[in-house]
Amino acid sequence: MNLILTSLIFTPLLAALVVLMLPVRQQKPIKAVALLGSLVQLGLAVWLYLRFDGGAFANGQTGYQFVEKLRWIGFSLGNLGRFQIEYFVGVDGISVGMVLLTGIVGVIGVISSWTIEKNVKGYFLLYLLLLTSVMGCFLALDFFLFYLFFEFMLLPMYFLIGIWGGPKREYAAIKFFIYTLVGSLFILIVMIGLYTSVIDPQATAWQLKLVQDGLPAGEEVIARVQQMLQDNALHASDMVRTFSIPAMMNAANFVPDSLLHSLSDYQLWNLPLRFIAFLLLFAGFAIKVPVVPVHTWLPDAHVEAPTPISVLLAAILLKVGGYGLIRIVYPIFPDGAAYFSVLVGGLGVFSIIYGALCALAMNDLKKLIAYSSVSHMGFVLLGLASLTTEGVNGAIYMMFSHGLISAMLFLVVGVIYDRVHNRMIQNFRGIANKMPAYTTFVVIAFFASLGLPGFSGFIAELLVLVGGFSAPEATGLLPRWLTVVAVFGLLLAAAYYLWALQRMFFGKFWIFPDLRPKAVITDLNSREYLMLVPLALLALLFGIFPHLLLDKIGMAVAGFTELVLQNGQEQLNIISSSIF
Amino acid sequence: MEEQGVFLTESINAILEGAGSLLPELMLAFFFLLLVTLDLFKSPAIKRLLPWLALTAFFASLLTQVLGGYTTTSVQFLNLLRSDGLARYAGILFSAAGIFTILLSLQNRQLENRQQGQGEYYAFLLMLVLGLNLMAKSINLLMVFLAIELVSIASYILTLTLKEKGRAIEAGLKYILYGTLSAGVMLYGMSFFYGLTGSLDYTSGDFWFTLLQANPLMVTVAAVLLFAGFFFKISAAPFHFWTPDVYQGAPMPVVALFSTGPKMAGIVVILRFVAAFSDPGISVSVADVQLFLGLAALTTLAIGNFTAIWQRTPRRLMAYSSISHAGFLLAGLLAFGTGYTNSILFYLTVLLFMNFGVFLFLQMAEDDFRMERMADFAGLGRAYPYLGVMALLYFLSLTGLPPLAGFMGKLLVFSNLWESYSLSQDKLLLALLVVGILLTGVALFYYIKIPFYLFFKGNYTHKNLVISLSDKLLLALFALPLLVFFFKPDLLLNWIEKLLTTVR
Repeated sequence: MNLILTSLIFTPLLAALVVLMLPVRQQKPIKAVALLGSLVQLGLAVWLYLRFDGGAFANGQTGYQFVEKLRWIGFSLGNLGRFQIEYFVGVDGISVGMVLLTGIVGVIGVISSWTIEKNVKGYFLLYLLLLTSVMGCFLALDFFLFYLFFEFMLLPMYFLIGIWGGPKREYAAIKFFIYTLVGSLFILIVMIGLYTSVIDPQATAWQLKLVQDGLPAGEEVIARVQQMLQDNALHASDMVRTFSIPAMMNAANFVPDSLLHSLSDYQLWNLPLRFIAFLLLFAGFAIKVPVVPVHTWLPDAHVEAPTPISVLLAAILLKVGGYGLIRIVYPIFPDGAAYFSVLVGGLGVFSIIYGALCALAMNDLKKLIAYSSVSHMGFVLLGLASLTTEGVNGAIYMMFSHGLISAMLFLVVGVIYDRVHNRMIQNFRGIANKMPAYTTFVVIAFFASLGLPGFSGFIAELLVLVGGFSAPEATGLLPRWLTVVAVFGLLLAAAYYLWALQRMFFGKFWIFPDLRPKAVITDLNSREYLMLVPLALLALLFGIFPHLLLDKIGMAVAGFTELVLQNGQEQLNIISSSIF
Repeated sequence: MEEQGVFLTESINAILEGAGSLLPELMLAFFFLLLVTLDLFKSPAIKRLLPWLALTAFFASLLTQVLGGYTTTSVQFLNLLRSDGLARYAGILFSAAGIFTILLSLQNRQLENRQQGQGEYYAFLLMLVLGLNLMAKSINLLMVFLAIELVSIASYILTLTLKEKGRAIEAGLKYILYGTLSAGVMLYGMSFFYGLTGSLDYTSGDFWFTLLQANPLMVTVAAVLLFAGFFFKISAAPFHFWTPDVYQGAPMPVVALFSTGPKMAGIVVILRFVAAFSDPGISVSVADVQLFLGLAALTTLAIGNFTAIWQRTPRRLMAYSSISHAGFLLAGLLAFGTGYTNSILFYLTVLLFMNFGVFLFLQMAEDDFRMERMADFAGLGRAYPYLGVMALLYFLSLTGLPPLAGFMGKLLVFSNLWESYSLSQDKLLLALLVVGILLTGVALFYYIKIPFYLFFKGNYTHKNLVISLSDKLLLALFALPLLVFFFKPDLLLNWIEKLLTTVR
């Protein structure tokens, strides 16, 4: 059995255990172990990325590679049949980019944390736990396993912000915790509804003794079990309820009289329960993305978090939200995806514009970047809502590219904050004169983020916009004006970045007098080069050779959009014939 | 005369036949008498022996119930008691609670430093657990009443253990007043039931069948009166008012016992009550019971969770936490259908470990560090990471976050609610499910307060102390199952399933 994915997830955990054993005073070894752990994870991620076969067919339901599947929890629920949770991990085009991104950002984060002095052991312990849970989220294919990692992310993050953060850290930490917990509670409600409604045909075939226990059932056996299920020929006690996400994507696995079955005519507030479930799940992940109007925790968390934690938060934690929408919400509720596409796209466009306008109004450089994250994540929603191949490719590309670029952005804010302990835009002028190398990287980061051709952000935005513009013909899901409005977001992005550049970096050098005593204005040191150079190169690499990523994700995205569109239309027809 | 004689012989035979099934209770009763007798001697050596004797009794009762095989007939004492898997598993939980209480008491300075009444303390613990066992076995209303009173009397005395403290007197008085009132009300309700049906055997189908013929208003009144007593024991609204005061006044081990033992027993009694409705003959009235219990659960959840937000002392916080858990348990009881008993028992088991863990932590904070308010905890977790992390685990498990067993318990309860919602499509159940899950967010807000002070606030400036090894081990003893039962809940669930299905 191939253990590559398990090692990817648990390498940081192993490193955390080693850190736990080390005495508190041994700061250097603790840092070294954390670095080693994250480097091994990166190495594994790169190896996986290179070995991953982007040409194989995949659509979310099938086509996962490096799959590991083990029985984990199983017990009888009496009349409800059996309850089954599996350790089920796998990778496909949708997740492979995220895995690579997590590996890269994980290492950068450790390097950035090198200057941490307060309670080093606790810090790196939590940091490594965070890396484990994020990686777990991207690889889990069992909803329970996903939820476990998803919730477990909150706790290390809460402490990392709350102990090592800025002056208002306690408020920011609890706000972050409560907001995202409420989001995951929405997800929990739907998860409970889903697993009690979905069976695993494979395990049910074993339960019925149609095939010998442990042997894979052939396609005809699976089809037979599904047929029996839909014909009400299965006794409830023989059904094996499952948390498997791919099983939930198949309408044939839903128990006929369950409320989430597409044939169910049950309605709540004049909506089919499936639609309500879609909205709840969407809301849960939207808080994480974050989508306006549930984004308010993000600026607070970013402003108070220490630099490396901001990097992690922006570069990979937010991606879990977008990834959840693509991996879970859309394929499991394709009918909702089709029905509510304007809502999802509209919220995306609203986030783009609102985030950009807020960024324009900010005086705190870090807050500006936090809002620019909100704005950029809006593109993910727009691309996804279009459900065109270009749009979804663009959404995934945007997540990857934003991961690299936002990491860079928060790092450059950290550089100035480390030197002056202040980052208000109006307190600086003409930094370029004193810190030319630093300014170069700021310019690179800003331009990459505003979508200059040649950087990865450009490819992502281009793909999303192409997807959005072609959506009215290709899928008929989004009105064209929405995408037109989104284009203004690009303009605003150029405005807030260039204005900030002009105010802070150009002109004659000046710094607010009160800050001068503590300020040590020196240019980048080697540790900072070590973080910024690779990120800049990667942003450039993926901007000039987009096929490096698109070749890996293309097949999966094509399969995914086809599956979601087709199932969505079919199930909408069923629902509209039975209800509307 | 002749007939009476035959009847008497038969009755005596039936009682003797069933006596073997009461082995755990008989052992507890024997040790209770032994402790009371030995307490008369003044010798300090004997006094020191008493806690260990009580511990032996609990271990013996735990062991017999785990091993099983002592039950001879399923129904004993002329339809008064039933020794089935449910009672047996509940008995195991009660014995475990008794053991934990003694372990906590042995670590408690305030109890140790008491001048008098050391022996009776342990004797009354035995009496309380004996009463709990009988509660779980009762299938007759009168027997339920007797068992509840046995528990109550022991509870009143235990509350007053540290009677030199002003809080203890207040707590004891309030407890007795509320307790006797609710007992009276419950007895009144029982008399209605007897008048309506001519029977007290509430698990039999006939009992309910007669009730269906009776005036619905009368039955409702009787049921409300009866449940007053049950709700008092599990501290569900609107009979929860005693909880915060008693939790503030009683010694910590006793509070830990109150928050688990009587609650578990009360839930089992209600469980037997509710289980009668799976009888198809009377299942028509399920909706009424669901409405009644559902409203109680909603109120309890709301009061428990929202009042907890404002508390400043950990003891009162835990009181409202205990009320909110009563709400979750009531919500779980609504989910009729097989499988729900397992989930409830799983939840109760997890609750046992969580609560004892928290109260051990609070006892250490009070005894060793003299910390009585939450704000006092500032910085303690950073000075003592082991203590802090353990406390964090307990509180997160109480909140219901993965990877801790509290999450599993809630997941199971809510799964049952969903299932029974999709069967009955009763919106009340959906409301309970959604409210219950969303209240977890509120719960996080108040539970995280203590870890918040432990890790985020201020610096620890008190004197340095060494935490004893026994305390550390106990903390781990309560924390370990929380992790194990999250990652392998099937270990416990399969065992519960086995116990529930075996007759003896």
